[in-house]
Amino acid sequence: MTPALSIQNVAKTFSTAQGDVRALDHVSIDIRAGEFVSVIGPSGCGKSTLMNIVGGLVDDYEGEVHLDGALVRGCQKQIGVVFQEESTFPWRTAIDNVAFPMEAAGLPREARMARARELLELVGLNGFENRFPSELSGGMRQRIAIARTLAFQPRILLMDEPFAALDEQTRLLLGDKVLQIQQELNQTTLLITHNIAEAVQLSDRVLIMSFRPGRIKRVIDIDLPRPRSSKLMGGEKFGQYVAAIWEDLREEASKGLQDMERVRAGA
Amino acid sequence: MASATLTSLRKPPAIVTRFGALALFLLGWEAASRAGWISAFIVPPPSEIYNSFEMLFVQEGLVDAFLRTFGEAFAAAGLGSVIGIAVGYLLHRSKLAGLAYTDWVAAMASAPLVLLYPLFLVVFGRNSATIVAMGVVGCLPPIILKTKEGLDGVKPVLLNVGRTYGLTPWRQFRMIQFPAALPTIFNGVRIGLLFAIINVVGVEYLIVFGGLGQMISDLGDRFEIAAMFGGIVFVILVSVCFFFITEKIETWLLSSK
Amino acid sequence: MAAVEQIGGRAAAPRAPFWTVTRLRVAAVLVIFALWEVAGASGLFYRGVIPSSALVAKAFAGLLGSADFWFHAGVTGFEVLVAFAIGGLAGAAFGLLLGVNRYTGAVLEPFLHYLAPTPKIVFLPILLILFGVGVGSKISLGAISCFFPMALSVAAGVRQVNPVFLRVSRTFNLTRAQTVRMVYVPALVPPLASGLRIGLGVAIVGCLMSEIKLSRMGLGFSAMEYYRVFDIPSMLAVLIFIFLCAALGNMAIDRFVRLPGPQDRVRRAR
Repeated sequence: MTPALSIQNVAKTFSTAQGDVRALDHVSIDIRAGEFVSVIGPSGCGKSTLMNIVGGLVDDYEGEVHLDGALVRGCQKQIGVVFQEESTFPWRTAIDNVAFPMEAAGLPREARMARARELLELVGLNGFENRFPSELSGGMRQRIAIARTLAFQPRILLMDEPFAALDEQTRLLLGDKVLQIQQELNQTTLLITHNIAEAVQLSDRVLIMSFRPGRIKRVIDIDLPRPRSSKLMGGEKFGQYVAAIWEDLREEASKGLQDMERVRAGA
Repeated sequence: MASATLTSLRKPPAIVTRFGALALFLLGWEAASRAGWISAFIVPPPSEIYNSFEMLFVQEGLVDAFLRTFGEAFAAAGLGSVIGIAVGYLLHRSKLAGLAYTDWVAAMASAPLVLLYPLFLVVFGRNSATIVAMGVVGCLPPIILKTKEGLDGVKPVLLNVGRTYGLTPWRQFRMIQFPAALPTIFNGVRIGLLFAIINVVGVEYLIVFGGLGQMISDLGDRFEIAAMFGGIVFVILVSVCFFFITEKIETWLLSSK
Repeated sequence: MAAVEQIGGRAAAPRAPFWTVTRLRVAAVLVIFALWEVAGASGLFYRGVIPSSALVAKAFAGLLGSADFWFHAGVTGFEVLVAFAIGGLAGAAFGLLLGVNRYTGAVLEPFLHYLAPTPKIVFLPILLILFGVGVGSKISLGAISCFFPMALSVAAGVRQVNPVFLRVSRTFNLTRAQTVRMVYVPALVPPLASGLRIGLGVAIVGCLMSEIKLSRMGLGFSAMEYYRVFDIPSMLAVLIFIFLCAALGNMAIDRFVRLPGPQDRVRRAR
């Protein structure tokens, strides 16, 4: 079966004043339809570069990205992106934010409002349709961003550390929400994260990336029963997965830390 | 710090002192003028200035003059906004043009541009066109600079959201860049409007043509000193009210985002 | 794959682009000149309204050689400098007072804030009554104009001084004068520069506008005289001279008021 998303030999080099930096080195990932895959790695492993490439925001890279077997480059409607930073439009209400992509596509007002209402309900924000983002919490704003991304039923949902700016408890509850959406829509998802528990909680597979140059160092299948929730965290198996991932990640993370300290010392 | 808190407890709220000081100033002026310490002819007492307003409204056509001056200022600011936002967008869009010309625009902002009015006078003649043109010249620099600043400051992630939906450059501008930059652009238009008012009144006064500037000039020439003070007070009050209201609109715009 | 390399290559090795900042600026100046000449030669305007730049240059040279012109320039220069000094000093002192003393600031600053963007020219008739048609009324209008931006910039600058520095100075028992000299003044250089720049611009406008309105000497009067006899090249030459002087003044402020600024401090600390 053709994978829903296939990343083949993708590589990217940045030229900086200090010379060339190999951010990604021949990364290949295949994701089946309906699968939830996480990419985890230390800061500076090229996670964000990978996400920019798949999201189509960077287009001068080596290698290829295939969507359902077809080569793609640049932004695709079938790939929906949830960004790490605050990305709701502060001048639009919750419902207008969610309706944004449908407005851009020229859907009539009635249709897009009905669909936006459905999506807000999906992320549990019914009743907040006419609030502005500034009146809502960070977690609620990120749910709006997720609902907005789901508007066109994208083949691939790409999430770049979507909970990074949130506190731990909100993050866990939002994880549950994502699990529930995943269950309902059977949504194929690629999640970029640096949070181990989050990766285990949500994923079918976790890919561990190495520090510069970014490569896939190891793949861990998370064999936990679905439907899942944050209650999994108490389980023995959950702890074993977290420990196993940390085992691999530790080395990379300390390399990253050393590098950062070296850069600071040099400056 | 503790002593500061204590003294501030003993002092009345700033707003009370502020208006108290204003009242004292007016009373002192009134007394000085009536007692003859300052010539009532040169500086008439506030009560006489206040009384002159009836004459200003009834005989001097204060309302018409006001409408004319502000109509011209708004026309100038409207025209200036169209040109200024377009130029600001270009300076934002082309990085090189921004580097080359933004300093020039900033220099224009503090240059005595209003002195160019004789040039406009010879081109357009002694009429409203000259006055509106001078208003435009006054309001362009802040509108251009603030438009560029606002567009430069749009968060990259919001632009990326637009890119992931494949928006055309025009839609990207209309749906994301413009609304995101709007509070800053509004600030520029507001400052521009104030500069336009300053230039319009100034040129009206200098060339004695139309509006409040001409009215004050005429009253001075006729030695209607109290009414002249009244006209001056009116211009100041109207500008202050105007500044105050647009400032409130701006804070409201910012807080609702 | 080849296409990929090409795209990557473009970003990696940028060719020296044809358009640089300097070339763009030169081009803009040339375009403005060309438009001016075309507009003048097009016949769309009355004859002589837009004289060719050669005529203006000739008039400019003529002005520079005339003693009369230098007399007027001297009068205006004197007025502007005195107005700038009075308005600037008074504004800086008042701004300092408002910034350092919080209560006074809270009481009086709204007056400044709301009076600053009003047209100052309307005060001219009062000043004419008070000081007559000589240089007094010109200087006073220029000084009033200069006072507001100066006072507001300095007051805002004082309030932006990092409160931690003030607490530090208190722990060292600095006197108020020492605090002003050692904490406030260094932090005030940037707002002072911007206040001076705006202040100089409005002082020039104030002095020249009052000369234009009612005067028998000064550059404003001189420009109006040329306008009256329809000697447009000379009128433009006077205006150009005024703009050149204003630009020189701004450059001088940028050059001299920046020196002890915080950027240099940081550089020296390294």
